[in-house]
Amino acid sequence: MPVQQAAPLLNTLRGSSTISLPRMLLRSLRHRRARSFSALAALTVSALVATALLTLYADLNAKLHHEFRSFGANVVLTASATPGGTDPAAPAPGSQLDDPATLARIRSAAGSDVLAVPIAYAVATTDRGTPVVVAGIDFAAAEALDSWWKVDRWPTSPDTALLGTRAAGFIANEKAVTLTYAGKPLTLRGGGRLRTGGDEDARVYMPLASFVRWTGVPASVVELQIPGGAARVDAAVDALRQNFPDLRVQPVRALVAGESRIVDRTHALLFGAMALISLTVAVSVLATLSASVLERRRDFALMKALGASQAQMLLHFLLEALLIATAGVVLGYILGSAVAWAIGLENFGTATLPRLSLLPVVLLLNVLIAAAAALLPARALRGLQPAALLKGE
Amino acid sequence: MFWRLLWESFARQRRRKLLAGTAIFLGVTAVTAMLGLATTIGNRIHLELAVYGANIVVLPKADTLEVTVGEQTLRPTTGNATLHESDLTKLRTIFWANNITGVSPELRTPLEVLAEGRGKTEIEALGLWFDHPLQAAGTPSLVTGARALHPSWKLQGRWPADKLAGKLDPESKDALSVETAVGSRLAARLNLHVGDTLLTAVPFPDADPPFVPLNLTLRVVGIVSAEDATDNTVLLPLALVQQIANTPDAVSRVEISATTKPEDAFARRDPDTLKPKDRDVWYCRPYANSIAYQIREAIPGAQAEQVRQVEQAEGTILGRISGLMWLISAAALLAAAVAVSAAMATAVLERRAEIGLMRSLGASKARVAALFYAEAGLLAVVAGTFGYVAGSVLAVLLTAKIFGGGVMLTHAFLPVLLPVVLAVALLVALAGSTPSIRGALRLDPNVVLRASA
Repeated sequence: MPVQQAAPLLNTLRGSSTISLPRMLLRSLRHRRARSFSALAALTVSALVATALLTLYADLNAKLHHEFRSFGANVVLTASATPGGTDPAAPAPGSQLDDPATLARIRSAAGSDVLAVPIAYAVATTDRGTPVVVAGIDFAAAEALDSWWKVDRWPTSPDTALLGTRAAGFIANEKAVTLTYAGKPLTLRGGGRLRTGGDEDARVYMPLASFVRWTGVPASVVELQIPGGAARVDAAVDALRQNFPDLRVQPVRALVAGESRIVDRTHALLFGAMALISLTVAVSVLATLSASVLERRRDFALMKALGASQAQMLLHFLLEALLIATAGVVLGYILGSAVAWAIGLENFGTATLPRLSLLPVVLLLNVLIAAAAALLPARALRGLQPAALLKGE
Repeated sequence: MFWRLLWESFARQRRRKLLAGTAIFLGVTAVTAMLGLATTIGNRIHLELAVYGANIVVLPKADTLEVTVGEQTLRPTTGNATLHESDLTKLRTIFWANNITGVSPELRTPLEVLAEGRGKTEIEALGLWFDHPLQAAGTPSLVTGARALHPSWKLQGRWPADKLAGKLDPESKDALSVETAVGSRLAARLNLHVGDTLLTAVPFPDADPPFVPLNLTLRVVGIVSAEDATDNTVLLPLALVQQIANTPDAVSRVEISATTKPEDAFARRDPDTLKPKDRDVWYCRPYANSIAYQIREAIPGAQAEQVRQVEQAEGTILGRISGLMWLISAAALLAAAVAVSAAMATAVLERRAEIGLMRSLGASKARVAALFYAEAGLLAVVAGTFGYVAGSVLAVLLTAKIFGGGVMLTHAFLPVLLPVVLAVALLVALAGSTPSIRGALRLDPNVVLRASA
């Protein structure tokens, strides 16, 4: 009976044209549009998730290290080579740390993307006679380096001072701040308060150039912000120590170590999340696809009755799955890159750019899932009796 | 009849139900785990960021400024006001007391020591708590101190004990033996090693008020490397430094580590200019500013400030990482929803013949739909509950694996999540089956039955 049923079908197929693999594939996909669509949706989602997570994962290092710059300097260069010296504010002879040539040498040793901010310190007395640390700094550089400083407005003119919130309590006239260093008085305009909760609160900050003109004390400290992880900082510290043997180069260890730890843990966290989500999606896709293969036992039986070998039929299912998988990757890669881009923009303020290098990985993943979905039910299909199935038993 | 159909459908088609159930189970597992991670990540990252030290610092309202640049105190501050150590228990009674995870008071005093082969040397003694219990009446005890506040300090040997063996007695001939840890640079200068002793049997000649002659034997039990000014000091129990400096109960600075909510525009408002209602809201949010404000209220003569370098950067990083987790949770939810919908759709599609049969036997469309929805709903609730349990456990295991620390299964289950994930599972399962059910019902039963005969 099954053979008789099948014969007319075969004739119609022959009548229109010969049976070719691409034709059969195309027909099979078009004929069951709803099912093909649901398989495509599942494989698109799996490619989307893989692309989005892998793109974010690959970009996480750069993004997180960027965020850690808000902690400020991670390496400090100090001119006074002997700690606890008699006058620590006085720099070691011969080292002009605010000299443009020195700064250029620092940059060439540590890297051109390094932020280097020279600072000079001196102890002056306020108009109330209280000793206070006065620091000379380039305000534009300080604003870039010390993003946590709470400043009403950054001063721009060369004769404006920024008063630490506790130091301000010891200054009688905040509009015209008079400071005396080594008998030399200087009156600066008060440019608002500085609030940090740290040592800075007890200091008065003023532009470096005016500071040097007033006190004659050059910068004794350079604060450096070296972007990147611990390895980069260590390399830069070694280079600086070689180039400046008379300076003390000290990494802010808590910052450097903490940054690496947190970046590593976030990496691990994202990796865990990625594995979990990918597994979920993969298994769901597998379930969906293999169910739809199982459901087509009748097609299978028919093809078998028409003389197709087991291998030929498997090839058919495999090719069908691969075709859908590839289409899914194309769609999923585009959508996934868009999702990663949006998450990067939303969360980190800078977009995560698509990575073409991930495409083969995503393709491989998807093809593996699709192939597994097509081949897993093969065992169940092998024991099939075409005659019995086609008869409806 | 309805219930029997429902029951039979589960009993006969175990394999198909298992497939759809697995999809829902895994989807709910992933979503629960991600949500569990996203909600607890804040505390974990805060603990990680604790290496950066205190985020709130308490100073006495001073009459002089400290003159410090980097590691060097350019001019020692004299006649400084101090806080009272006994007032620190009040930190356990403020509104956000439970958010305070670490407290470390300190007091500094100059000290002359006799080191072997170097004669008299003046050094700075830094009085600290190492592992000190802090407890107010009726509150749980918090064991805290410099160790907890400075996880990045490297220690060779061990920390000194907080408890003193006796009282510093000027009349006594016997030296009081005390444990100390020495800063690494001072240790290098004085050539000290773990196990060495330092003697302080020297009176201060020019001290005002005159000091009693000290008779101490400092046993070095640890060498501390902090890579800051601490490396040039000897670390002693706070109680001893108070006796040496003859200022009982005094502390000059208190570092506090607190779990805070990242600062937003509202946090930056000045509470004293807010309306009473807004002020209460401000007060009852764990901003660093409001905790500092409460500390100022609790401790007389205190000036509490957030350490902006730590607090601001922590806020940024915490916000970024938990934001990332929330967004990925949302993505996981979406992906799981689509995957589960696809699985549900397939499950209905393959049962078209059954629908046709039921319809031809006289079942109304509504009844058939009700049966299929009931199946999907039952599956969602059962698989969803299992998924919730698995996801919760997975979140805890993942956290323990990544951040270390023990696995605490008792804290794994967030009861709030269960209704949320179940509702999502139900919604997704029902929504996922709807197009296929509608499609199957629209078909003529005759055609379906013939096609599949």
